[in-house]
Amino acid sequence: MSVVGKRVKRVDVLEKVTGKALFADDLRFEDMLYAKVLRSPLPHARIRRVDTSLAEELRGVRAVLTARDIPGESTIGILGDPFRDQPVLADEKVRFVGDPIAIVAADSPKIAEEASKLIQVEYEELKPVFDPVEAMREDAPRVHEGGNIAGHRKIRRGDVEEGFAQADVIIEGTYKTPFQEHAHLEPEAGVARVDEKGNVTVWACTQFPSNVREEIARCLGLSLNKVRVIQTVTGGGFGAKLDISVHCHIALLALKTGRPVKLVYTRPESIMTSTKRHPFIIKYKTGATREGKLLVVEIEIIGDTGAYASYGPAVLTRAAVHATGPYNVPNVKIDAYTVYTNNPICGAMRGFGVPQIAIAHETQMDNLAEKLGMDPIEIRLKNAFDLGSRTATGQLLAHSVGIKKTLQEAQKIAKEWRRDLLRKEEPTKRRGVGVGVMWYGIGNTGRPNPSGAFVELLDDGGVVVLSGCAEIGQGSDTILAQIAAEELGTDVENVKVVTADTGVTPWCRATSASGQTYISGNAVRLAAINARQTLFQQVAADFGVERGELYLDKGVIWVKDSGQKNLITEAIKKCRSLGILTLGSGWFNPDTTPLDPETGTGNPYATYSFATHLAEVEVDVETGETRVLKLAAYNDVGKAINPIGVEAQVEGGLSMGLGCALMEELIVEKGVIKTPTLAQYLIPTSLDMPEDMSVNIIEESEPSGPFGAKGVGEPASIPTAPAILNAIYDAVGARITTLPATSEKVLEAIKGKSSHQ
Amino acid sequence: MATLLDILREQLGLTGTKKGCGAGDCGACTVIMDKKAILSCLTPAMQVTGREITTVEGLSRNGELHPLQEAFIECGAVQCGFCTPGMLLSAKALLDQNPSPTQEEVRMAISGNLCRCTGYKKIIDAIMLASKRMKDEGGQGKK
Repeated sequence: MSVVGKRVKRVDVLEKVTGKALFADDLRFEDMLYAKVLRSPLPHARIRRVDTSLAEELRGVRAVLTARDIPGESTIGILGDPFRDQPVLADEKVRFVGDPIAIVAADSPKIAEEASKLIQVEYEELKPVFDPVEAMREDAPRVHEGGNIAGHRKIRRGDVEEGFAQADVIIEGTYKTPFQEHAHLEPEAGVARVDEKGNVTVWACTQFPSNVREEIARCLGLSLNKVRVIQTVTGGGFGAKLDISVHCHIALLALKTGRPVKLVYTRPESIMTSTKRHPFIIKYKTGATREGKLLVVEIEIIGDTGAYASYGPAVLTRAAVHATGPYNVPNVKIDAYTVYTNNPICGAMRGFGVPQIAIAHETQMDNLAEKLGMDPIEIRLKNAFDLGSRTATGQLLAHSVGIKKTLQEAQKIAKEWRRDLLRKEEPTKRRGVGVGVMWYGIGNTGRPNPSGAFVELLDDGGVVVLSGCAEIGQGSDTILAQIAAEELGTDVENVKVVTADTGVTPWCRATSASGQTYISGNAVRLAAINARQTLFQQVAADFGVERGELYLDKGVIWVKDSGQKNLITEAIKKCRSLGILTLGSGWFNPDTTPLDPETGTGNPYATYSFATHLAEVEVDVETGETRVLKLAAYNDVGKAINPIGVEAQVEGGLSMGLGCALMEELIVEKGVIKTPTLAQYLIPTSLDMPEDMSVNIIEESEPSGPFGAKGVGEPASIPTAPAILNAIYDAVGARITTLPATSEKVLEAIKGKSSHQ
Repeated sequence: MATLLDILREQLGLTGTKKGCGAGDCGACTVIMDKKAILSCLTPAMQVTGREITTVEGLSRNGELHPLQEAFIECGAVQCGFCTPGMLLSAKALLDQNPSPTQEEVRMAISGNLCRCTGYKKIIDAIMLASKRMKDEGGQGKK
């Protein structure tokens, strides 16, 4: 292959290094108004009255809207019915601190803000519920009419009682993970404009333009084709930009005022309103033979989804499906609950429930290894999936199962690290090495999630690709260009990729679930093949050969095993002269089946990525402070379409995993976020990341993937935190099960351990 | 009170400089004032009178990219791109003062610039590469 697998420069990089890339807040329109949202200061209250008259009277205010000004449907929700439970503007009730009640458009941001403060809201406070366990009780305050349990996912396999009866050793653990914040660098922003015919155009950051179009159309009561969503250059998402943020509000205000309206969130507003990583409470019981073979797991997961469902039930379902880890376990009972509370909304965040559950299954695995006196990597190898394994949902893994290969590669380097460990310790510092593994299903869980694409071969041999795929920094524009270039025998420079503009690009799934390379990549590949077939049809006729005998290389069409050739530009010209257009279209939907509601049986994903990460840490026994000294990632991605992009994803994933392990916790007290800034919610800086950081790409080709590719965005990050936590234990014997592993917690655990001895 | 960031973005239309927090926490608004990297979101516009300001728009000259920009492209140091302008200017301020920084010095110089995408590795690699190239070119110039 001449383009796929090569280290390719990003197609969007020049504008990003020169400051010319236009993010939503960089857009300016004549006559533009500025919006501000009035939000609830209370976690749970009935709205008795909203008085906007003072705000409307303020000079420079052009519109003040409340729920009753919504022309269409007034609720949104990314999972669709029955989880469309979030009001665009709250009218009866507010359910979390930050629920929007009114929106203002004014001549300047300052006037809009002043006006929002003049809106008077009379509330009747309701008893809130903040603890998900409490919220599950019958007598708990109800966040929604239908009760607080938004979802209960069950997975049943084999016989767990029998499994535990046969087990020689049983390990039990309870794990708690906190709310976490995506901390995408670009706060949510957008501009909406309505033309004289009533067509609405929204320029905004998002991970899911197709869904934004749908939600706006519903909210405004317009047909889908009257709404055009153009994704602006998006400054990171990590799941936070899947749900609706500014979009419906600016569209409503633009429709009302007839003028362009811009809304940019402040950082605290972004942190307050974007969905968080679900805090999990996990009870995990493992049974195994004395040889270290897993026999049985019984797992309960409670996920706090906050005030609205967002992706909650899907996150808990994914957590349940992945809860065994990438291991053969014959007897399985898993119950995963999605619970409403009056906390901030939780939804998608890189890993979608798997980072939390991986911390649990990987700690269990190390505890089991310790109890049996086995090597942590050996016990994982003993249980890891192989070709032909069946997962907890009964799915047969028939291809591209790279977990053992990642473990074997990691094992070699882990031995080296261990050998060097002891020599380097200082008197008050201890070093340790830890391992973490993961598996991750590519695409949505047992739900259709197709993408489409169009490809046009132009007269000069250039290529235009139209895809709805949202580039949010992960590098998908470049991947799609490479795939089209490879199929059409040209260079990336010769391909123009137009993405994520619903006015011109076809329907596309969200940029989520690490699925764009696999799904949108396949769509582009199929569209390119389709265009090529039209061209080859003609060329084959001209040469008097079969279409299958032709191939493309660097702008030349060759007849296999003969010297015959034709320039692609000549062939296209010939087609044109005959009135034939070299256009292609394609779409792809992963081959999945839904999960049975009682047993969870099904094939939720068409393919899985696998990874093993290693961490070496140094813990200061006097302060509890942990420094990560080394990280090594072994990620099975099927095929690295752009290896430099895979490395970049994994390196970023390592830093997010490090943050997850050691520092990241969004503190929420009585529904109020106590860490609403980037000075309080800490993410890794350049000083936190180790110099020794290696990314090792493993390629277990996936037959249904484009050129064998699977996905890497989330697998990049999931095993890092477990590896670091296991390394801390290896270093000082401190077992942290309530995340993150702050210095205080590690110190306390060290002290607790010595007082027990 | 207007900040330097407001003036740059709203009045001069120089939107290459980004606003990630408006509170001096993220570094996305970093520009160079009289050879020093500063946070334009915390700098009152009034303090800037008579000072020389460099933003990302001023890095390339006559269409030719600055070696740092070249290195960022080559090393894959850019993902979403929102931190990139601030990162480039923190790097430039460092190299202008210290043309041969150690890796540790580079880490320190960008420690106020948050990046959520990259894990910083390729950014650090890019700054080291640019430093090496600028020295090599400078050395050739002296011959």
